[in-house]
Amino acid sequence: MPNPTKTSAGQIYYQTYQTIKKTPVVYLPFLIFAVFEIIAVALVYLFPRMPFVLVCGPIIRTFWGERFLHYPINFLLLPKLAALSRMFLSVILGSLLTGMAVAIVYKKNYKTAFKKYISLFLIVLIITGLFYLTVKIIGLCLNKYFMAGHLKLLFLGPRIWLGPILTTINLVTALLVQSIFVYAIPEVILNEENPIKCIGASFVFFKKHTVLTLILVGLPMLIYLPVVVLNYNTAFLIYRIFPEVILFLALSGAIISSLIIDPAITISTALLYLKSKEK
Amino acid sequence: MIKKSITLISAIAIFMLTGCAEDQYAIEKRYYHIQKQAEKIFKNPHASPPNELENVVNILNGFSKKYPKSNLAVNADFTISRLYIVKEEFEKARAQLAKIIGTYSKQPGICSEAVFLKGNSYEMQDKWSDALAEYKKIMLEYPTTLRGMDIPIYIIQHYKVKFQPDKMNEAAKEAIQHYKNLAEKYPGSVAALRAQTLIAESYAILKDWQGVIGALNTIIENYKGKMDMDGVLMNIAIIYNRELNDPVNASRMLERLIQEYPKSKLVNTANSLLKKLKETK
Repeated sequence: MPNPTKTSAGQIYYQTYQTIKKTPVVYLPFLIFAVFEIIAVALVYLFPRMPFVLVCGPIIRTFWGERFLHYPINFLLLPKLAALSRMFLSVILGSLLTGMAVAIVYKKNYKTAFKKYISLFLIVLIITGLFYLTVKIIGLCLNKYFMAGHLKLLFLGPRIWLGPILTTINLVTALLVQSIFVYAIPEVILNEENPIKCIGASFVFFKKHTVLTLILVGLPMLIYLPVVVLNYNTAFLIYRIFPEVILFLALSGAIISSLIIDPAITISTALLYLKSKEK
Repeated sequence: MIKKSITLISAIAIFMLTGCAEDQYAIEKRYYHIQKQAEKIFKNPHASPPNELENVVNILNGFSKKYPKSNLAVNADFTISRLYIVKEEFEKARAQLAKIIGTYSKQPGICSEAVFLKGNSYEMQDKWSDALAEYKKIMLEYPTTLRGMDIPIYIIQHYKVKFQPDKMNEAAKEAIQHYKNLAEKYPGSVAALRAQTLIAESYAILKDWQGVIGALNTIIENYKGKMDMDGVLMNIAIIYNRELNDPVNASRMLERLIQEYPKSKLVNTANSLLKKLKETK
């Protein structure tokens, strides 16, 4: 017999669907973010061109090298720059818009998010920073290990480790970091304003609902998997198909993440959090 | 409302203009797509129809004429000659190369590459004497270009591959003399340093190890203080050890390396080699 008091992922997803259907305005913050992200990708694509190159050229030259300002090599850097711009937008704008979406789900005034912007901003900054640092450190350690002359790690060579395994590690890190801290924003909107306390509350809630949270966060993320796989083969796509396919891929990635994954994760976890608090 | 509309229209206009502007990026993009068309012929030169070659050559010529100041115009000109070479239309290839030499007569680097490709075209026709004449022309007219510096070694390698040891030795001796003249003509220059290194390489082909050591010692004498000599010292040590079976001098060189360049990346290798040499004593 199924336990009627236990909440399943299916039920939460059904409620998510119902919330979007009954209150379509909840989708608006994600739509706004998608527009900004698409503009950011378009700008990143235009970096090597006049007049943008006058401003962005020196930055790209300093951090990545002159060759990334030339066609078609610039497309090799496009996914990385698109990811960085998304991170930046998530901290500055995404934090506010996610707060607004959660406030709408909780039938609160969306202006609550404006009032609590500093907390929202700090939470997303901490989460993004933590994810970025973890991914960087793992990548750096693996690079250092193989640069030191080691040919294998656990019977596998550098091409496997720095390729598909590192990509998988990054995905798992994203899943874990997001799962642990996903309830911090609902907590800010519902009760607290102290970002550290909210992150703590999120961690405690995650510990109680580990499996369900991992499903709610992980399942939508699977939709992004084809984009990750294709991004991993950027060079192949540039030379075998045509370079502009990378732009199309970056735009698809922006649309999928902003309009499918983000709403699914944000609304479903916010509903689960509310349901548990009501109990 | 009007303000917003103006902003939006301006943003769209900037976006559109950026997409249509003929900046360096746009030129690169155009060239990349022409290059892709040329690649089809390079991949399968015998299966591609003659009109395809003509078509790509016309596009490349058009590109070169439209953007004569772009560095890609030179690439386009060279691609045309390479296309003719792979299609075995050697006369047309050489005519194109002669055109390049005429257009870029003030740029020795480009001219030397064109003459080299001309030589290659003769080689493909099994006309070594004609090819050699072109290569000698590079040695004479463009001696300090990258191609000019390497061409004597290229000639030596040709004889080596063709199993002609006498001609190879003769070419090596000629190369040594050529490089010595260059080093004397441009003392202290980058070309002179490269010439000294190539003298050592040429002596190595002749298996004249004392000659190699002499050339490397000249590098140390002339360039010490201007650049690190740890690599040169290591090379001398290896020659003493492996080729001349002289562990005493090999050890002396390694000790000098460790003493003079204690922060060098080669110190660890030098120490372990020194240890091995002492053990074998």
